[in-house]
Amino acid sequence: MATLEVRGVRKEFGKLVALDGLDLDVGDGEFFVLLGPSGAGKTTTLKCVAGLETPTAGRVFIGGRDVTDVEPNARRVAMAFENYALYPQETVFDNIAFPLRSKRYYLPPAEAKSLIERVTATLGIGHLLERMPGELSGGQRQRVALARVLVRPADVLLLDEPLSHLDAKLRAAMRAELKSLGELQQTTSLYVTHDYLEALALGDRIAVLRAGKLVQVGTREDLWHRPVDVFVARAFGQPQINLLGGQIEQRDGEAAFVTPDGLVRVPLGPVDLPSGAAVELGVRPRDLVFGEEPGMHPLRGRIYVVEPLGRQREATIQIGSQQIAVVTPFEDLQPDALATVSAPPERLLLFDRDAGQRIPLAMPGGVEETPQWREVEVSGRG
Amino acid sequence: MAAIEANPVLAEQEERAATRRWSVGGIALDLLTIVYFIFALFPLVWMLLLSLKTPDQLFTTYFRFTPTLDSYRAVLGLDASGSVPFVRFFINSLIVSFGAVLISLLVGVPAAYAFARYQFKGGESLLFTLLSFRFAPELMVIIPIYVIYQRIGLFDTHLGLIWVYQLITLPLIVWILRSYFQDLTPELEQSALLDGYSRPQAFVKVALPLVKPGMAAAALLAFIFAWNSFIFPFILTGSNAQTVTVGALSFMGGATPRYNLTAAAALIALIPPLLLALSIQRYLVRGLTFGAVKG
Repeated sequence: MATLEVRGVRKEFGKLVALDGLDLDVGDGEFFVLLGPSGAGKTTTLKCVAGLETPTAGRVFIGGRDVTDVEPNARRVAMAFENYALYPQETVFDNIAFPLRSKRYYLPPAEAKSLIERVTATLGIGHLLERMPGELSGGQRQRVALARVLVRPADVLLLDEPLSHLDAKLRAAMRAELKSLGELQQTTSLYVTHDYLEALALGDRIAVLRAGKLVQVGTREDLWHRPVDVFVARAFGQPQINLLGGQIEQRDGEAAFVTPDGLVRVPLGPVDLPSGAAVELGVRPRDLVFGEEPGMHPLRGRIYVVEPLGRQREATIQIGSQQIAVVTPFEDLQPDALATVSAPPERLLLFDRDAGQRIPLAMPGGVEETPQWREVEVSGRG
Repeated sequence: MAAIEANPVLAEQEERAATRRWSVGGIALDLLTIVYFIFALFPLVWMLLLSLKTPDQLFTTYFRFTPTLDSYRAVLGLDASGSVPFVRFFINSLIVSFGAVLISLLVGVPAAYAFARYQFKGGESLLFTLLSFRFAPELMVIIPIYVIYQRIGLFDTHLGLIWVYQLITLPLIVWILRSYFQDLTPELEQSALLDGYSRPQAFVKVALPLVKPGMAAAALLAFIFAWNSFIFPFILTGSNAQTVTVGALSFMGGATPRYNLTAAAALIALIPPLLLALSIQRYLVRGLTFGAVKG
């Protein structure tokens, strides 16, 4: 049990800068997710916290204690590696018992045995204890690695893409299982993933990383509804958020978004940008509704292609030279037919086209719901 | 088994192999193999024949003679003369070869690990220097070493030979084991570190057991090279620490070369490396690191 602080950590590998002044604050018992594409520095962050890599600059604090120069085995940190790092010459039982046989985390064999039996029963690998790691499937190995992390006392748990090598179905099941593990709920955890669904499902808070820099930290609602820029907006949601290119048109203190061909015109209320400013209008495919709805902004175009997604469909609609994706339960969709979709004004996101920063909009109504990711989870993978 | 036999791909391969055997190319290939084996094995067979002949049959017979084990008795000092110290040479060889390999393992395994895992100043040059011992001809250094050994009293001692054999065995063990350690994912030891073990413990408990096959192979190879070494013991030993390679040759000197004794001695000297190779054969097959990699 401890807080975790990362202060201005920079890590260089030769000329490559893996982490560039990273700051993180993880609260006691918090489940904190690091999300980012590969090469963003997620694993390097974990290794710096674990002490397996020494930061070029910056400090790491665990429970308020500066551990930057403390050896990994003295940090009371447990880590599940992306490749599981199971000891191939030891049985599953011996693998899990390994930390409990060290001086630091020693447990008498009888106690260790009962603890391991309890943890492995929870994880459903109790029958595999005598096997060798080489005889296990990916999902089983992943549970063994998790068991090895959970049996030992730790102030901070580091989990490096533990689900990434599992197939989609197993991943969804394990995601739910991870959430229900008491040990994970109570211990300060840093969880690395490149899967936004995992991040949304598991994270108390989520940090988005890009090229060794922190882009945004926040709750799932923050990241979903108030992404700081286009990168974060694109990172969440499948299909990706629609981004229409256009410019600002100011008239009588009210701004509007207009595409270059003039086919789309969306009133935005007061916006602090001059006429002609290049912007992108973002709206998530699942927020769009087929047909004209009162109080929403209509977008008119032609259906380009329809893809079935289980019980829903993803339609791509051509508006002039641009395309937008819509996810809808609506069934009567014919390619080439004219179509109108409506965009709820409170779900519109406006970005500066060059810098990518989000430009705040005065939202009418301003009622905020929880993000639609639960629905995403069910149908997106179907 | 049934499943394997029913496999159509395998069946087809077998069929193709069967037809190849009786094609012209197949027969030529078999012939070539046989010729090669005769070429490779004939010296051994000839040596066996020599060792079974009496001295007067040596130069008068090829294959038809009355075999006798007299040469072996003479070499092992079991006959009336009992003067040949070959048994002592044999024991000397065992002592210096095992000694050299043991020290090379003690020094070389941690060194190989350090070279594989840590980047330190001069590491690459050090590694290359070690390798360069292998390309330098032994003759180049033998005279200075002879003089030095004479001065410091290492001439004709086991310790002296074990020391100089490090030129042969240490580079071999370091280079082979370094690549074994490099093949291990460092995350295994990192995991051990986080599991509460110190760096030396992680090395001994996690990395070392996984390179056992590599250690066996490297040690065997080093032993064979040390055992077969000729020029070092030839120059650096007298009667006391002489090894089998030099001892076997000693029968060739004198007015009448006693080839039968040389042959018998050489065949006896073949036994330890052979036994060693057979006993650690199962380690020579790699395959213990499965499971460490992604699933």
